[in-house]
Amino acid sequence: MDYFEVFGLPRMLGIDLAALEKTFHQLSRKYHPDYFTTAPAAEKTQAVRMTALLNDAYRTLRHPVHRVEYLLSLYGFKSDSSKVPQSLLMEVFEINEQLEEVKAGRASVEEIDSLRAQIQQKRQRFDKELQQASLSWDDLVNSGATEARLKAHLAGLAEILAESSYIRNLEREFETGSQPRA
Amino acid sequence: MAKIVGIDLGTTNSLVAIVESGEPRVIPGPDGSKLVPSVIYFDESGPVVGNSAKKKMVEKPKNTIFSIKRFMGKGIEDVKDDLPLLPFEVSAQSEHIIHLKIFNRDYTPPELSAFILRELKRNAEAMLGEEIKNAVVTVPAYFNDAQRQATKDAGRIAGLDVLRIVNEPTAASLAYGLDKKKQGTIAVYDFGGGTFDISILKLSDGIFEVLATAGDTHLGGDDIDEQLIRFVLAGRDPAQANIPAIRKAVNEAKEQLSASDKTDIVVESLQYKRGITRPEFNALIEPIIERTLKPCRQALQDAGLRPDQIDEVVLVGGSTRIPLVRARVQELFGRVPHTELNPDEVVALGAAVQADILAGGKRDMLLLDVTPLSLGIETMGGVMSKIIPRNSTIPASATEMFTTFIDGQRNVKIHVLQGERELVKDCRSLAEFDLKDIPPMGAGMARIEVKFLIDADGILSVSAQEQRTGKYQSIEVRPTYGLTDEQVEHMILESFEYAEADIEARLLIEARNEAETVLNATAKGIADEQYGNLPDDERAEIAAANKNLREVMKTNNHQSIREAIERLSNATMHLAELIMNAAIGKALKDKRVKEIDNE
Repeated sequence: MDYFEVFGLPRMLGIDLAALEKTFHQLSRKYHPDYFTTAPAAEKTQAVRMTALLNDAYRTLRHPVHRVEYLLSLYGFKSDSSKVPQSLLMEVFEINEQLEEVKAGRASVEEIDSLRAQIQQKRQRFDKELQQASLSWDDLVNSGATEARLKAHLAGLAEILAESSYIRNLEREFETGSQPRA
Repeated sequence: MAKIVGIDLGTTNSLVAIVESGEPRVIPGPDGSKLVPSVIYFDESGPVVGNSAKKKMVEKPKNTIFSIKRFMGKGIEDVKDDLPLLPFEVSAQSEHIIHLKIFNRDYTPPELSAFILRELKRNAEAMLGEEIKNAVVTVPAYFNDAQRQATKDAGRIAGLDVLRIVNEPTAASLAYGLDKKKQGTIAVYDFGGGTFDISILKLSDGIFEVLATAGDTHLGGDDIDEQLIRFVLAGRDPAQANIPAIRKAVNEAKEQLSASDKTDIVVESLQYKRGITRPEFNALIEPIIERTLKPCRQALQDAGLRPDQIDEVVLVGGSTRIPLVRARVQELFGRVPHTELNPDEVVALGAAVQADILAGGKRDMLLLDVTPLSLGIETMGGVMSKIIPRNSTIPASATEMFTTFIDGQRNVKIHVLQGERELVKDCRSLAEFDLKDIPPMGAGMARIEVKFLIDADGILSVSAQEQRTGKYQSIEVRPTYGLTDEQVEHMILESFEYAEADIEARLLIEARNEAETVLNATAKGIADEQYGNLPDDERAEIAAANKNLREVMKTNNHQSIREAIERLSNATMHLAELIMNAAIGKALKDKRVKEIDNE
């Protein structure tokens, strides 16, 4: 059973979070191991597994990025956020150089602020792209697009995901490693 | 069903509570005291626990064990900073599990904690007039896997089946939520004798959902005492001073300073007397209080909330009586914290409420707790690769694929860790798992799917299945900071309570009971329509394992019965999954038809 099936949802990316939470609570009340303390061992084990699956599914689906990652994995796409996506190479070259300066403690407060703004701007841009591509996935599914078209769209989605993940890692690296020049 | 008690196994004090006619209450000991000091005094005739043991702390420091909770799941390296101020004799073999030497016998922290649990069990039995076998035991939310397992082991040694490990701040929120039953967010700030936790919860319609938790399992009132001891020592060698006497004196002064503006620290045996004002005291402990605020900010951030989005703040633990603590918490969250319930009792009361839920008493309340630390595995280059992030709702699971690197390789080693840092060396080693008896094949051909499962107690288990053969792999677990099953069984044997024959008989009865249960469940499974959907070979294995268990059950060997149970459980796992999935599919369909609002 995949995560979408756990919630009785189609494989679509627009999810009503309030409804998702409500179903999560209903299913938790049904399967939580707390209610199987006196049940036979096999049923207990099954309740733990089922609740784990439910929790894993909820954790993944409520997060817009993890949701995309998961959908892609269902169609055999693997994500790797460690490498710079080809399309980003030129764009992030300068940012990476500045980040090195910041991490080495050689940047001024103003330089750090400007870098933060640049990174944030990019992250917002890719978040938006990801959101739009997610919406158009749902449109494609709803319009009954051919399998070839769906596959092609997923490949595009995978690319945007790789880019936005890379920028998000960059942002994290920036936040944990920035010390202004003494 | 038999009664289930709730136990708060604290660093300084322990309590046992139970729900009767809908209300939780603490069960006092024979001396009328609700708080049982977590102190064990040994003399030649055996151990004494509680208030009478506490009286021996100054007189017989070497034989009077206190704050043992701080040693649970720890090795000698973890506590080396504390040892100079502690009077205990640590045995040489303490690298991964601390052993204390008392009258020439080594005791591990789970064995020592078991003395406290036995005392609570006896108190409950005396009051309730029946044998108590089942308990819910609380632990700090930030306890790691080894510390939780050590707590469960302590229960087993004490003859208690620990049905659930509950996090202390979550238990406290249950006790508070009883009469309130609101919607909204709560922050529970739990500052006890030895540990600090902060948990952020969301309440809705009886569901207590923990959003984030953070803490420090080595930060509490004991640290404040030690700070004051150093203040009294003023640079003198601790080995030359009477530390237990100083500890008692500063502890009294600390408690007085919560009510008055100044007091004296008096150590008669040293002819020491010194006045201390609350501002002086505050200046000394300020750095310790400051250390609690960082986890608070972390938990808020993880929960995605600002301090002003917290509706209620609840204080738990004796150290929250300190005025400076209250002031700092109030500053951080911008609101006056709740203190209506006794901070010493609230965790035990909550544990009793959870016990009542498990016993089937209350179905309208449900706790959804999280794992405090990320779980990961060691990958190439000593890097920790996270597979279950911290603050995931438990039970939680993750699946990873492993393969072999050389032709005919039969074993694969997996190193499991907990922590947030990137490198293995900066994380807490949890255990090594050896996947054994992999069918011989070419390098990289085996595909072993390993499933990591954190249960509702926050404790990890691992199962593995070779994908080509479909066989469940056998796994050997070597806990890094814990006892193996055999060691725990050995300790039960050695404990004062049981003679060897008793324990063998008990293990046999338990194994047979479980065998009955599994056989019944299998019979039910075979009768289910899903049974027809199983491939022939799986059905054959179920039949064979079923027959095997029936035969082995007649013997007196509990170990072989356990093995036969495991074989049958493995054989029926797929069937159980099919049945459960079908049930869920049906439940979801029903739901879509009816669009149930509240079940």
